[in-house]
Amino acid sequence: MTADVVKLKVCMAGEAMVGKTSLIRRYVLQEYDDRYTATLGTKITKKVLAAKDPKTGRDVSVSLILWDIMGTPTLRDLLKEAYYHGAQGVLGVADLTRKETLRELDAWYRSIQTVAGPIPTYVVVNKADLVDEAALDEATVKTFCEGRGWPWSSTSAKTGKGVEEAFVALVQGVLAAQG
Amino acid sequence: MRRPETSVLVNEALRRNGDDPDALFVLAALRVQDGHPEEGLKILDHVLVIDPDYPGAWFFKEKIHRMRGEAWAADSARRQGEAVDG
Repeated sequence: MTADVVKLKVCMAGEAMVGKTSLIRRYVLQEYDDRYTATLGTKITKKVLAAKDPKTGRDVSVSLILWDIMGTPTLRDLLKEAYYHGAQGVLGVADLTRKETLRELDAWYRSIQTVAGPIPTYVVVNKADLVDEAALDEATVKTFCEGRGWPWSSTSAKTGKGVEEAFVALVQGVLAAQG
Repeated sequence: MRRPETSVLVNEALRRNGDDPDALFVLAALRVQDGHPEEGLKILDHVLVIDPDYPGAWFFKEKIHRMRGEAWAADSARRQGEAVDG
């Protein structure tokens, strides 16, 4: 029997330079580039993955559509309908070396919620490879995320650590929330 | 290192390619943000000629038309957006 196909739109969220594009590149292409290229406009990347529907236990083929957007807060509200219409999940990205990037996820989430409603959100604290420059500790992240009901984990787009697991966890959360 | 100003990135990209849809999409947003929705709309329409499936462009067009009180055009853009972006 062939698996059901489920199409999911997931949006990346977070400040500029936290590694949104790098996380997608690592997850989809298994690539990493140290040079920073600012995202302009919207980039869509697709990935098909096998998953189990947590509600039915059935195998599903997930066609994941990842929306990578500019981390430009000044245009966030103006472009929120363009970016977030029909979004079913959010991968919020913070940067281990910049404390404020965690706090700023609240503003990104508020903007998304006004368009897409209270959709599942998963947070990654990226750049785990830069542990010597850490500005966030586990307790702070835990308190922040648990208070909002957001599961979270650490990732490194550079080494690949935790990247696939984070996207899979988000997909599972989105599938579990589907009506 | 800091992210360069968005307007600088847009200008650089347009110098390389005047029809860069990403740069034009953002330029449209910058024009709207600066209080010139009619210019933004014109640029956005050009984006949609270059790439009728440009992600989010139809919903942004809907928003600009609503800002201008053009309900019929906004509804039409929304329908196009639903068809393209789902």
